[in-house]
Amino acid sequence: MRIPLSWLREYVRVDASAQEIAAALSISTAEVNGVHRVGLPGELGLFRVGHVLEAEKHPDADRLQLTSVDVGEDRPYSIVCGAWNFGAGAKVAVALPGATLPNGLTLERRKLRGQMSEGMILAEDELDLGADHSGIIVLDDALEAGTPLADVLPLVDEVLDLEATGNRADLFAVYGVAREVAALLDGELLPMPGTDPQRDGEEPVGIAIEDPAGCLRFIGRLFRDVTVGESPLWLKARLRHAGVRTISNVVDVTNYVMLALGSPLHAYDLDLLRGGLVARRARKGEKVRTLDGVERTLSAEDLVIADGERAVGLAGIMGGEETEVSATTTNVLLEAANFEPVGILRSSERHALRTEGSNRWEKGVDPHVAGPAATYATQLIVELGGARWTGAEDVQTELPEPEVIRLRPERASELMGLDVAEAEQGEILGRIGFDQVRQGFRVPTWRARDVTREVDLVEEVARFKLPEIPFTLPRRDAMFGRLTRAQRLRRLVEEALVGAGYAEAYTPTFVAEGDLRLPEPLSAEAAALRTVIYASLLEPARRNSDAGEDDVALFEIARVYREVGADLPEEHWHAAGIADGGFAEAKWAVEQIYSALGLEPAYERTNEPFLHPGKAARTGEGWLGELHPALLDGVWGVFELDLDALAEAGPQVVAFEEVSPYPEVRQDLAFVVDEDVPSAEIFAAIREAAGGLLRELEVFDEYRNPETIGEGKRSLAFRLAFGSLEGTLTDEDVAPVRASIVDALATRFDAVLRA
Amino acid sequence: MDKVAHVNPDDLEKEALAAASEARSLTALSEVRVRYLGRQSVLKLALREVRDRDTGMTLNAVRETVESALATREAELARAELEERLATERVDVTLPAQLLGPPKLRPRGTLHPSTLVRRDVEDIFLGLGYEIVDGREVETTRYNFDALGFPDWHPTRSPRASLFLDDETLLRTETSPAQIHKMEERRPPIYMVSIGRVYRRDTIDATHFPIFHQYEGLAIDKGITLADLKGTLLHVMRELYGPEREVRFRTHYFPFTEPSMEPDVSCFNCGGAGCPVCKHSGWIEMGGSGMVDPYLYEFVGWGPEEYSGFAFGMGIERTAQLRYGISGIRPFWDNDLRFLRQFR
Repeated sequence: MRIPLSWLREYVRVDASAQEIAAALSISTAEVNGVHRVGLPGELGLFRVGHVLEAEKHPDADRLQLTSVDVGEDRPYSIVCGAWNFGAGAKVAVALPGATLPNGLTLERRKLRGQMSEGMILAEDELDLGADHSGIIVLDDALEAGTPLADVLPLVDEVLDLEATGNRADLFAVYGVAREVAALLDGELLPMPGTDPQRDGEEPVGIAIEDPAGCLRFIGRLFRDVTVGESPLWLKARLRHAGVRTISNVVDVTNYVMLALGSPLHAYDLDLLRGGLVARRARKGEKVRTLDGVERTLSAEDLVIADGERAVGLAGIMGGEETEVSATTTNVLLEAANFEPVGILRSSERHALRTEGSNRWEKGVDPHVAGPAATYATQLIVELGGARWTGAEDVQTELPEPEVIRLRPERASELMGLDVAEAEQGEILGRIGFDQVRQGFRVPTWRARDVTREVDLVEEVARFKLPEIPFTLPRRDAMFGRLTRAQRLRRLVEEALVGAGYAEAYTPTFVAEGDLRLPEPLSAEAAALRTVIYASLLEPARRNSDAGEDDVALFEIARVYREVGADLPEEHWHAAGIADGGFAEAKWAVEQIYSALGLEPAYERTNEPFLHPGKAARTGEGWLGELHPALLDGVWGVFELDLDALAEAGPQVVAFEEVSPYPEVRQDLAFVVDEDVPSAEIFAAIREAAGGLLRELEVFDEYRNPETIGEGKRSLAFRLAFGSLEGTLTDEDVAPVRASIVDALATRFDAVLRA
Repeated sequence: MDKVAHVNPDDLEKEALAAASEARSLTALSEVRVRYLGRQSVLKLALREVRDRDTGMTLNAVRETVESALATREAELARAELEERLATERVDVTLPAQLLGPPKLRPRGTLHPSTLVRRDVEDIFLGLGYEIVDGREVETTRYNFDALGFPDWHPTRSPRASLFLDDETLLRTETSPAQIHKMEERRPPIYMVSIGRVYRRDTIDATHFPIFHQYEGLAIDKGITLADLKGTLLHVMRELYGPEREVRFRTHYFPFTEPSMEPDVSCFNCGGAGCPVCKHSGWIEMGGSGMVDPYLYEFVGWGPEEYSGFAFGMGIERTAQLRYGISGIRPFWDNDLRFLRQFR
């Protein structure tokens, strides 16, 4: 909410600057996002009251007047003006050469159609006081020429941009903020504005509440002989500086009082109403055209204000177009009501219509403030619209009694970690309207919704003491500072992949299709929860590649979601990656991951529609392969592993083996085998046949040559190291082992030893 | 005119479609194309000679149908030929990568800036003796809202603000449900931080994305005070942003804490004098915090005054933005290597 300082100071006497007020509110009440100067940007001394001495048509321009104006200097100023709503003798607002207007224009002496013009006679919009540019501002005749204009008109103001939280409906009112300022800065809060004028009649108004759950209170007041017209400049400036559009005096008054006291109001053209007003639920399918010109079809949950025949407004949100106050209105019915918040919120959501009114009602407005709001608006309508107040009615449901809450001062001190004396706690609460009674503190009506428990009272004390509360650490007798196994595993996998050259990507949880659909998707591409990660990496890989990047390797560790019937979906952590270069890239990355975890997986050939059919493998925890070329241009290696499965697979303890002090015997063996015998099977067979002396085994070469080793064959070379804790092994010791390996491979795979 | 008279569009279409579907190779298919759509084809000749509008339209419809059938068949055949070629390319998937490639020698990769921040946050809290909790992302409204004291009218409960899977299931809007699960699991002392993805319905633009990452802390023990919250966050903020930082607290409102406060950190860019980073206020907003609302204790069946505790929540991306000077949210999700590689 935008709070003009001049307005705030009408309600609170306080010796503090705008900055000091903003700082105090920010810490203890609600954040002030800024203090802005509004109105004239520059030197105010060049804006004066001018007395028009002479005014006649410009000799060379039919539309211009040439005037001579007393501006309080030793000679009259000659000013050319385009407006005709004044003549000699008028008191006007003048800007002298050198003055800067709100639009940034700095005035100069200059000739207009041959006549010297020394300044400008001002219209409202040129001073940022209103939107009117139909004529210049004509001031009170009693003013003296040369008087600083700032003494007469609200040329500048400071505005607090206050961001109140949803629990504090009372802060959506200048008076509510004034109450806080008084409490925070030791100021004097003045009484609420507004006094009922003399009533001029006893007309019945005809108000009824048919839905007491939705409407707690309904005050109606009648006005006759209203002159609807422009609001005075002070009122226009206030609304403008608070960010509210000006419309007409009667409508402006309702907005002004809402901003002042926080209780929204509405004015109807009495002559357009057919019978009295009732607050009721809408009939199904009932329609109302709201002030924004939209015809709205109502649901049975919408609360409306209706006359004898139809709905004339969406209660608390927006009035109806057919009964709005217009320039021809002479009789007015003013509504000051109180609406239940949740219903207003729901209606406002249903109709996608948020207004200054709904914004307040949905936070819960104090029903007791409807009375003062009606009074203040009555005073202003009578004053500004020359109206007669002829009728009043106040229909109330049973308004809730203020609650009394007990506060144990020692409990408050204990929670804050700061000793605050009982007397001081009581004094703080007293300043913000919580009266101490025998059983505790009586909650003021404007805080009834928010403060219901002792701990809420503690907060009220704490917010005033915040800067004084010290910085301490909890006293501990139990510690938990340790990553879980799954968390450590994620870090290991991250490190392994970074080491392999992969950059970590973050991609959205959402995909176009899947079992777990969002009933209201974010977009066509974000309509369901993903079950795999790799697919989300294709697009970033493509984009980086298209950007000319020739080393693209991306990975992501995130969750996937699987539908499991009635329960919440299963969530698993997956690691997935993509890299330019094909199968070997995927294999390398997966090897790095398993090796980081101390695991040796079994790779098996597999088939997936998204993988190259000849270059796809799976392990117990996932898959890897070359991306099917139909999915993305280029050759890509991809993989995806289930980290939760990996965490279960991992060794819990390291199986240590003693290191032998004796040298090892190394031997290389190459076997010719059929093409389709997987190297891993041979590897396993060697290990099995080698027995306890084998220390190391690796495959280090693959070789094909149809001429030397035959068609459909390949040669695989293995490096073996043998050792013993007993002593140095000789070739003779190893010979039988080697023979049993050769035998075993010959029997199982028809393998032939090459060398 | 003679020729046109002999053309029966229906027969021609049937014949061409049959030929297309019978073509067994791309070569065969291109012959079919020449035969039915080539310059000398019956259809093209007929089209060239046609004079009346109706016949022209009929023949053109035939041409379009045949063209589209040919295109479909061409894609099928291309895919089949690709699959056939792929079937001949086999590797021994059990061989080590070094023998299969060898794989490219790549410079060391990088962790995402959000992960770097996440790890720092984890390490700071591990140092303070807190456990790190991941929590689930798909939650029930019971844990995401009810348990945390969100009133019925709270705007976050609306499908306009949050991402629902059905009436009672949604993607968590904050990581706090993990705290309730922990409280149900065991009695205090509880010192934990939950970190991870949270969701809200946002239209994607420079500063909004429907997913972001939060870290939320919870400490519940005997005799925890608001002063402990202030001291803990002072420590964490100094660890994250430098030992010179000051922390101040502003009163605020959150459904699950009472009293509630927002912590600000003195601007590390200007030291508090005012600059664009802190929007000229000297202070940078960090998130939310407060004393655990007794409602939560009652929800899990504890007495309202057996324990006390504090909770706080902050954004990972926001922390990364502040630390590295990243503006906007898009770079976090664009996965542009020129961006990612800077975080070494």
